[in-house]
Amino acid sequence: MIRENRSRTLRTFGWDGLIQIVLIGNSIVMLAPIVIMVFSAFKTNAQIFQSPFALPDFTHVGNLVRVWTETDFVRYLMNSFIVTGASIVLILVLGTMAAYALARYEFRGSNAILLFFLAGLTLPLKLAVIPLFIQMRDLGLVDSRFSLIFIYVATGLPTTVFIMTGFIRSLPNELEDAARMDGASEARIMWSIMLPLVRPAMVIAAIQNVVPIWNDFFFPLIFIQNNDLKTLPQGLTTFMGEFGTDWGVLFSGLTLSALPIILLYIALSRQFINGMTAGAIK
Amino acid sequence: MLSSKLTGRRLWIAALVVPPLAFMCLFLVYPILSAFAYAFYEWRGLVRGDFVWFANFHRVLFEYPFSERTLNAFTHNIVVFFALMILQNGVGFLLAYCLWRELWGARFHRIAVFLPVVLSTVIVGLLWKLFLHPLFGAVNVSLRAVGLGTLAQPWLGQDSTALMAIIVANAWHMVGFPTLVFLAGMQRIPSEILDAARMETESEWVKMTKIVWPLVAPSATVVFTLLFVGAFNWFEMPFVMGGIDGSPHGATDVLGLYFYRTAFGSMSASAENFGPGSALAVLIFLFIAVVSSVITLKLRKREIQL
Amino acid sequence: MKRLLLGAALAVGTLLSASASFATELTFWTWRQEDKAEYEKLFAAFTKANPDITIKFEAFEATSYNTVLSTALAGGKGPDLMMTRTYGGIESLAGAGYLMALDETKIPALKGFSQAALASETMRSNKTLYAVPAASQTMLVVYNKDIFDKNGISEPKSWDEFIAACKTLKAAGIMPFANGTATAWQNETIVSALTSSIMGKGFYADLMAGKTDFNDPRFVEAMTKLKEISAYFPDGFVGLDYASAQQLFTSGMAAMFAGGSFELANFAKQNPALKLGIFAAPGLKADDDKLVGLFYDSGFAANAKAKDPAAALKFLHYAASKDFAQPFANNLNNVSAVPGVTFESPLLAKVAELNKNSIAYMTLVHFRYGEPTGSNLIQAGVSKMLNGQMTPQEIGKSMTDGLATWYAPFKK
Repeated sequence: MIRENRSRTLRTFGWDGLIQIVLIGNSIVMLAPIVIMVFSAFKTNAQIFQSPFALPDFTHVGNLVRVWTETDFVRYLMNSFIVTGASIVLILVLGTMAAYALARYEFRGSNAILLFFLAGLTLPLKLAVIPLFIQMRDLGLVDSRFSLIFIYVATGLPTTVFIMTGFIRSLPNELEDAARMDGASEARIMWSIMLPLVRPAMVIAAIQNVVPIWNDFFFPLIFIQNNDLKTLPQGLTTFMGEFGTDWGVLFSGLTLSALPIILLYIALSRQFINGMTAGAIK
Repeated sequence: MLSSKLTGRRLWIAALVVPPLAFMCLFLVYPILSAFAYAFYEWRGLVRGDFVWFANFHRVLFEYPFSERTLNAFTHNIVVFFALMILQNGVGFLLAYCLWRELWGARFHRIAVFLPVVLSTVIVGLLWKLFLHPLFGAVNVSLRAVGLGTLAQPWLGQDSTALMAIIVANAWHMVGFPTLVFLAGMQRIPSEILDAARMETESEWVKMTKIVWPLVAPSATVVFTLLFVGAFNWFEMPFVMGGIDGSPHGATDVLGLYFYRTAFGSMSASAENFGPGSALAVLIFLFIAVVSSVITLKLRKREIQL
Repeated sequence: MKRLLLGAALAVGTLLSASASFATELTFWTWRQEDKAEYEKLFAAFTKANPDITIKFEAFEATSYNTVLSTALAGGKGPDLMMTRTYGGIESLAGAGYLMALDETKIPALKGFSQAALASETMRSNKTLYAVPAASQTMLVVYNKDIFDKNGISEPKSWDEFIAACKTLKAAGIMPFANGTATAWQNETIVSALTSSIMGKGFYADLMAGKTDFNDPRFVEAMTKLKEISAYFPDGFVGLDYASAQQLFTSGMAAMFAGGSFELANFAKQNPALKLGIFAAPGLKADDDKLVGLFYDSGFAANAKAKDPAAALKFLHYAASKDFAQPFANNLNNVSAVPGVTFESPLLAKVAELNKNSIAYMTLVHFRYGEPTGSNLIQAGVSKMLNGQMTPQEIGKSMTDGLATWYAPFKK
């Protein structure tokens, strides 16, 4: 009996040890490339080529300064902020409007409309880029930030409506009914009573949309030609061609582009993980 | 009085629902429907020509050189799907199983495995392209440093390694996603079932394959379907790492690149060609829609049987 | 908003110009944003000679220029005057009837232009010229003079000398060539830059006459020699992209770069200290013709619906004259297509000198009119050969068979 117990402990311990080794190994594989990227941002070409893994001299910020001052990096960053920000605001406003109507009112066709939004979840808009291009041309939106914003809103709405509808449906009726008794208008009820309650769902929906929009490369590639309007991922590819000679600058560019989202992720990892897997976990 | 209140309510609902619907129709549904229509026309540059029935489809499926390129790209998509099934979803399941034990440091490992997922594909692709540089990349430099210089390869330049290199970079980028979806699935397994299982068997292998695996079936359905759609829509990673032409000589060409190149032309080799491009888009769309529905239905059945 | 302003500005402009002695403003489009200042000087000179015509410069991104231009022309909003691409690039515009047809009666100066230049802006189906050829590019070998001097190497006169030079450089620890082929089109440029002399004028003439195809031993020999010299490309060059290859050359790590004359300005900009030299890759024997690969990359055309066709034509007269072409060559570093232009820059003068002995960069000039393009085929073929999966004979066969789907002389 004792012997059996001991072997069991040993086995568990051994198993856990193995698991721990696998996890540590995996975390090294996941983090090392990012660490090398950040290190290389502080190195010269020779240092990168000869000793890619060595600790750099972190006071050597020349590469980062060059990226910031000599390239269009700041411009690309601002464009990404503008496009992503405007898209998220529009997605949340429009998504909440639709979800609120679908969740709180019963009306003819509401189910059909919900299904319509859900069908949008599965449509790969990338494949419709030819008609989209012609449509944007006819609307005069090629080479305009609006082309991107409108596309992102259309692709972001289905998941947002899906998440928000579910959440708003789960809210209790009492407050709303009481307010209605007091003669408050529907708009007033929505604005001052219900909306404050849906904030957590909005955060989830915002994160779920912000990552793919911030990172998108495909639509800018097609719709944005003017360098002044390029977003960060698209600008990065231009920049890699121009600065092909200087790897320290290349790694600095990559580091600076990755940093905002990495820091945000570290600060809000739980929300990020919940938000990004929200569509996949029932 | 009542009727005016009713119209007011109707107007209010309409005011809430119509703007988002309009966006969806204008920028999602309409373009996708048009894509189907466009495939049946001849195109001269950006100008639509005659209705040509299935001529564009015939070209991309049966006429040289399109047929050859379609088959080449499609084959690569299949390779990508199966390779990622193992490297991304398979590894993801194992990692989830490890994380599920909640050993010391699990929170850290969870954050680490998901970190690359939040990065842009362009950043990840460019980063790995630098690492895989034949002369100065960290991979070859380290191989030479430890005396394995003979293993140093022009990874992205030879057809025997290029596609695999891009697949591995993709797996590194995205493995955190299936991991955490599986983990969430495992965490929802009721503890009674696990306790009962523990009485039955001591073998971790049996527990993992016979108990846990079937119980995370809903997660598996979602993860497999998403991977399928992703693998056949694959564009950004091969674009950044292999280029628009699927270098070397089409060894990394996939349907996404091929569609883009056919539709919008490649500066160094050919002009834009919207007809065959649209036909390709429709075919890819239908293929994804049909197969992913079948996968979902099949896998759902597996969930119900349990 | 911008559009509205533009519309208003145009309206006001038309009113003003109507009152002021009927002066015409023509718009001019190009993809060369960086040349704006110089073009405006050229336009000012034109207006001085033709006081009733002014020209407005507008530039668009190079990669999407053709799309933007054909979109605008299709919608009737195109410019009066424009820079056009060549070969297949002009056929898509001319074929749709957007461009004014030109000939020697309209622009007498065209008489002096070379046949190859005129062919670059001529539509094949109706043999009509649609643009005044502007500039050519040359495929050749660029080298680092300091490295050559230090290692006692001079421009090679025969293939054996070429290989010997590579061996000397390699022994000295310098990469002979910077070229890499991971970027698809680099597989095509090296063919013209390194093997034009081996293919030779005879092969080119026979190919154009329909007497031979790419199975010809002269073409196969060219591929064999390309494979041979690729041994002197950097280690792992098949995985080396275009930007990295340029970097190896400009940083002085490699001695030569096989590519186009369009590299010269960029190399000089990346590393102003670099002493650049150029030569035509030699043929097998020292007395073989040393040939470069030549193609034209741009031209000037007028809109078929220009608002003042006579004024637009006046500009094309100007563009075909030395008055325009001389500063166009000197200040914008173009190898102008206008006959009689001289070159201030010694490098450009050398390029122009080399151009006297050339064959066409044939996959681009003659074989981009159908699918698969000659460019598709040669890029794939060379890449496979350098990866050890295709023999030179097989490249020749795949090109001949592939092109036979649309190129009549190869059809059996």
